[in-house]
Amino acid sequence: MKFLPYILKHLRRNWVRTGSTILGMAVCIFLFCTLRTVLKAMDDARELGSVTRLVTRHAVSLVYNLPLSYEGQITQVKGVKRVAISSWFGGSLPAKKESQDKSAPDGGQPDFSKFFTNLAVEDEPYFAMHPEFSVPADEMKAFREDLRGCVIGRGLAKQFGWKVGDTFFLESFIPPYRRREGPFEFVVRGIYDADKVREPAADDRVMYFHYKYLYESTGRRVGAGLYVVELEDPKQGATVARAIDGIFENSEAETKSETEAAFRADFLAMIGNLALLLNSIGLAVIFTILLVTANTMSMAVRERRTEIAVLKTLGFTSRQVMGLILAEALTIGALGGGIGLGLSVVIMRVMTRVPAIGGFINGFPNFGPHWSVSGQGLGIALFLGLAAGLMPALAAYRSRITEMLRQV
Amino acid sequence: MSAEAARQPAAGPIVDVRNVRKVYRRDAEEIVVLNGINVQVPNGEFLALMGPSGSGKTTLLNLIAGIDRPTSGEVIVAGTDVGRLSESELARWRSHNVGFIFQFYNLIPVLTALENVELPLLLTSLSKKERRERALTALKVVGLADRAGHYPRQLSGGQEQRVAIARAIVADPGVLVADEPTGDLDAKSAEEILALMESLNRDFGKTIIMVTHDPRAAEKAHTQKHLEKGVLKA
Repeated sequence: MKFLPYILKHLRRNWVRTGSTILGMAVCIFLFCTLRTVLKAMDDARELGSVTRLVTRHAVSLVYNLPLSYEGQITQVKGVKRVAISSWFGGSLPAKKESQDKSAPDGGQPDFSKFFTNLAVEDEPYFAMHPEFSVPADEMKAFREDLRGCVIGRGLAKQFGWKVGDTFFLESFIPPYRRREGPFEFVVRGIYDADKVREPAADDRVMYFHYKYLYESTGRRVGAGLYVVELEDPKQGATVARAIDGIFENSEAETKSETEAAFRADFLAMIGNLALLLNSIGLAVIFTILLVTANTMSMAVRERRTEIAVLKTLGFTSRQVMGLILAEALTIGALGGGIGLGLSVVIMRVMTRVPAIGGFINGFPNFGPHWSVSGQGLGIALFLGLAAGLMPALAAYRSRITEMLRQV
Repeated sequence: MSAEAARQPAAGPIVDVRNVRKVYRRDAEEIVVLNGINVQVPNGEFLALMGPSGSGKTTLLNLIAGIDRPTSGEVIVAGTDVGRLSESELARWRSHNVGFIFQFYNLIPVLTALENVELPLLLTSLSKKERRERALTALKVVGLADRAGHYPRQLSGGQEQRVAIARAIVADPGVLVADEPTGDLDAKSAEEILALMESLNRDFGKTIIMVTHDPRAAEKAHTQKHLEKGVLKA
């Protein structure tokens, strides 16, 4: 500890260089922590999800709907308790009826910055098989009695300041879900709370409305986006999934049934190999910062050859001199890591409030700073500092006093 | 070889250089810098080493200070054969026995005068308060206690050298080695530094070995020895 003031004074010697190195390290750790947090949230999303429910979708892609006739056939499969249609509507605010007027400020186009998840569901079976969503009975009754009614999560209500009785309009970007007479009108009939203890993946920023409203408003031409299947016995998941897919084998619309967790994984995979991409970016940044920091440390030590010779002349052993340089490099790593980590935590918190991005992020059940990611980030920062300081420290260790004094 | 084994009876001269040879190799070429040097320096002596450039003065000084090793022969300082100590033993030995004064002061620019003087004491078990007190005392000895908080850039050349002398004496070594301590100073500052060194020798009993080109500086020493082409002349 008695050498700490000495180390800190050296770091302040060329504060622009030290500052930029620490900043570089901070950016590196910020990127690492943020990217790892996203990856972790994705991994968690894959792992979480009810084991009592399956998702049956079009085998080719989520983009294609399934025939409505499948519902009855799936219900007949042994081990199936309930089936509910769930279609991703893709509606956005604030596409109001009057904004069909192209001269309106928003040009009649949906505002994707206020995008949130909205699903058209068969309300009775859907809410019956999702006990993690609790809606007051009177609100549920009002919802069921109103075709334009919708139930929104507490988080969504808070985000937009909506309350029961409020009206809003949504327009989907999916062509079959758009209608000539303009956007869909909805009335908030209920607000649900999500029990994250019962179901960690439960999201309270989703809007549910009647599938019937979508079906009838679009000329009864749309199919089912997917079927959510409740199992009688969670252990029978694989058997039931095989049985369902077996029924529609070689049909025009083959199905793919999987657990909710696997479905989430497939949904995320639509983005591409995000994990590989994010990991590659992270590694490239870390390697670049390692080179930059190593170069900075080498320059700093090269400039101090005389001082190193003086320290050794005064009686500092080669190990002590090496230790001082490594401690200096570690301090840069620790400072950069700490700043990067702090920045990452702040940005992650801010991002959840940013329109559009926030909606996407909040869809992940566990998005946010995590000690394991923070620990990895700090570990990498210290490793980078140590690795960057190792060569100059070894050079200082091996250097001979007379040679260094002669080069002055 | 341990420090204990290298220690020899302290009786006799504080510096005893016996038949020392120092050879540098550059590719196949051998450059003999010191050839059969024998010199004894009694305790409390003020010795000036003189000679032309390349005569081996600094090399001999470095051997006595324990920052270089002879190719052959023995360098015994304060009872220890420094050539037989390991690198780390030698470093520890230097911190207790030798104070080094450089021509260009070699103060650490980011540290204040007090912190520069305190630096050798970081290797001891003294508390921070004790270190500060001893460093301040050393600065008082060189007459710069009022400049304790100043950085080297805020001091004149003469003052910087005095801080360097304070750093050399703060651990209370028996031997001070100075490599052209007035070589970078004006006449007045050089005179002050020499007077200070005389005082350290006279009043504090320090043995001083000084390399110099300057005959006026050498006159301050009790004894002068001349090196020419690696051989001691007188």
